[in-house]
Amino acid sequence: MPSKRPLEGVRVADLTAMWAGPYATMLLADLGAEVIKVESPKAWDNIRTLVPPPVAPGEHWWNTSSYFHEYSRNKKSLTLDLGDPRGKELFGKLVAECDIVIENFRTDVPEKLGLTYDWLRAQNEQIIVVGMAGFGKTGPDAEAMGYGPIIEQMSGMTALSGYGDDGVPFKTGISYGDPIAGIGAASSAIVALIQRRKTGQGQYIDLAQREIMTAQLGEAFMDWCMNERLPQHQGNGHDWMAPHNAYRCAARPADPNQDPLQPDLSDDQWVAIAVRTDAEWDGLVRVMGNPEWASAEEYSDQMYRWDNRESLDQHMESWTRGLDKDAVFQACLAEQVPCGPVLHTRDLFEDEQFAARNFFEEVSHEEHGAWMIHGWVWRATDAGPCVMFKAPDFGQHNAEILGGLMGLSEAELAELAEAGIIADAPAATPTASEMAAAVEAVASEAATSESAASGSD
Amino acid sequence: MTVHATPETDVAKFPLAGMRVLELAEGIAGPYAGKWLAALGADVIKIEPPWGESSRAFGPWPNDDPNDETSGLFLYLNPSKRGITLNLETSDGREILRELAATADVIVESFDPGYLAGIGLGREVLNVGKPEQVLVSISAFGQDGPWAQMPATELTLFALSGQMGITGDPMRAPLKNGGSQPSYQAGLNAFTAIASSYYGAQVHGEGAHIDLSMRETFASMLELYASSYSQLGLEFGRRGNQVNAVWGIYPCIDGYAGLCCLPRNYDRMADAVGIPELKEPRFADPVQRLENEDELQAIMYGWFAGKTRQEVHDLGMEHRFPSGFVATIPDLLGSQQLNGRDFFHEDEHPRAGKLKYPRRLWLGSEHEWRDGRAPELGEHNVDILHDELGYEMEDLPRLRELDAI
Repeated sequence: MPSKRPLEGVRVADLTAMWAGPYATMLLADLGAEVIKVESPKAWDNIRTLVPPPVAPGEHWWNTSSYFHEYSRNKKSLTLDLGDPRGKELFGKLVAECDIVIENFRTDVPEKLGLTYDWLRAQNEQIIVVGMAGFGKTGPDAEAMGYGPIIEQMSGMTALSGYGDDGVPFKTGISYGDPIAGIGAASSAIVALIQRRKTGQGQYIDLAQREIMTAQLGEAFMDWCMNERLPQHQGNGHDWMAPHNAYRCAARPADPNQDPLQPDLSDDQWVAIAVRTDAEWDGLVRVMGNPEWASAEEYSDQMYRWDNRESLDQHMESWTRGLDKDAVFQACLAEQVPCGPVLHTRDLFEDEQFAARNFFEEVSHEEHGAWMIHGWVWRATDAGPCVMFKAPDFGQHNAEILGGLMGLSEAELAELAEAGIIADAPAATPTASEMAAAVEAVASEAATSESAASGSD
Repeated sequence: MTVHATPETDVAKFPLAGMRVLELAEGIAGPYAGKWLAALGADVIKIEPPWGESSRAFGPWPNDDPNDETSGLFLYLNPSKRGITLNLETSDGREILRELAATADVIVESFDPGYLAGIGLGREVLNVGKPEQVLVSISAFGQDGPWAQMPATELTLFALSGQMGITGDPMRAPLKNGGSQPSYQAGLNAFTAIASSYYGAQVHGEGAHIDLSMRETFASMLELYASSYSQLGLEFGRRGNQVNAVWGIYPCIDGYAGLCCLPRNYDRMADAVGIPELKEPRFADPVQRLENEDELQAIMYGWFAGKTRQEVHDLGMEHRFPSGFVATIPDLLGSQQLNGRDFFHEDEHPRAGKLKYPRRLWLGSEHEWRDGRAPELGEHNVDILHDELGYEMEDLPRLRELDAI
């Protein structure tokens, strides 16, 4: 029997939108907190319009975006116009029933909405408030907008990444600043809960997304402090390991069912290999079938291999070129040599380790069938599936929360709906055909960037 | 046995005062989790093998002079912890760990999956008499499954988490991003896992064994890339530095700067940049912009080339669109924003000299962060083995001889 989830009994009013904040509240919801996602019918979470299915059968496409679903599972949805005095008053009553309020607005916005810490505390003296602005709530940059890629740049992280031969810094593929800030924000709320159990006091958390990411520079920071040495771009190289690189592998057969609108990644196949010790090198040599070149003196120990890493990389790639990346990996797995195929998204869903651990879980929506999202970020060893219930439809829990938790009558709910303070559909949304065009744009953009890739090499 | 007392003042100032953590973790992920637990007041006892943990050997070192006590990585990861040495390959070492475990609220380990159970120190041994104890096992691929024993590095984890295929130039090889991100993000997740499990244990009286895979924590942040494939069959290759013309990084006068405009940010950006063409109908909506992507990109290259990094950042702040620049470490150390928020801790380390590094994760109105020093190898052996566990001083040389400590 799985144990209780650790945050069972904790209730969260979630004002966050996009990715950083929703990532934080996804963690809290997965951990058992009752997370109530609060959206205004007029200013709803834009993440709902990032890659929804072109047109869902009921045209309720704002409920079906996979992006929204992945990071909103296990949450409840309440719509409430906080710009309306009645909406704000109801929010105050909700805060009185919550342990945590979390927002990732730009710094000036909560003040404009009147959602200051003082006001929130007046609704609930023990409330824990997490504000996760990009650069924090104070200082000259307090009101700067902090989207994940900007956070990554401003944190010092982007400056660390690059191929090394052209001086160009590179962004991480994802909006890396967002989830990192989200993990930090989830932890801040939990730490405040721990402290509140001891002291009885709530508190205000001023979390700057940029600062969480800067803390992850670690050794690069220390090298500057100790030696005033700036980090050098290393491509896929390493200070002392060799071989240590991504090597091109054999192209995969083109998928006969390949969608012509989608990028064809069949020849973009690579495997990463990193050798730390002589024992791992010996294992790799066996994996490669004991080629003659590998016994040359210039590769006979770690320092030699590092000094001669360029020629070593050429030998390695002439070996991997003829092989499927999974074949290289399976051979390395048998010899315990650190190796990893560079996985494309489709590969993730065919991965034997993820499958063995049920990493992906199925969700479904009555208007758009079933698909897979990631489950536990980390898990208790006796935990069952992570997803208790799918992401909520817009305003799905209005009656449960306003009626059940806060005691409003059905007549009052109808009145609120009439006034547009609550709703079961976002106001002023793009039409279904505009949405279809936008999705096509995302898809063709992927195809555009990839036609360049398949033209390389 | 005396229990390590937590001073009253610490309880008021530090949220995790009174929490005892045994850190049996090498490298970055586990120690990074322990770093923030210690900074928030937990009594983190770092248990190293007698020869020291691996990050002592990784540097960087002041003047590139290798020394076990001045590794920058080790000093960064381990402030405010206490350190002891134990050889778990000896029966005395294992016995001492059992005694210490009886005092621990949290144990963090990153051995190969199954190692602790294999030497008779599985969870049911470590938590005897302490059912609310939390054990966190950090590994590359998880505690079970066909790859459980597969070794991994930052590079291979980046590839296997799905991050590398989408990072880098589409015309070149996939690119690992900078530093040791598979480890740091796993460490931040482990810190969160520990805090939540500890809270749950206090509230519900039940401990937990947490199985944290570094690869899974990283694969959980694939943004729209994984689930869009599963739902819609959308695939994404690398996009280099420009997701699109108004969401990317460009060279500018004194380095690199960036924009990150979603459709709703475009108009403000176009107004602020003040190039009339940006307002022409062929750039009016996202679909049209995409059709004229090359032209739009050329305009943006031209605009950035005439701006400094700070100008780009300031313009976005003034006109409310997302912009910034590629900051370097000296930029951060000189940042008025970060210094005004007292983000850096400056320390004169007895052996490593002057150090300055990030001191905290967030600002809490009701708590502080501890600024301490990383322990030297075995620095607290006497405090913990003699003062707390009650071993006689004359036992210590015997244990050292046995290579137990």
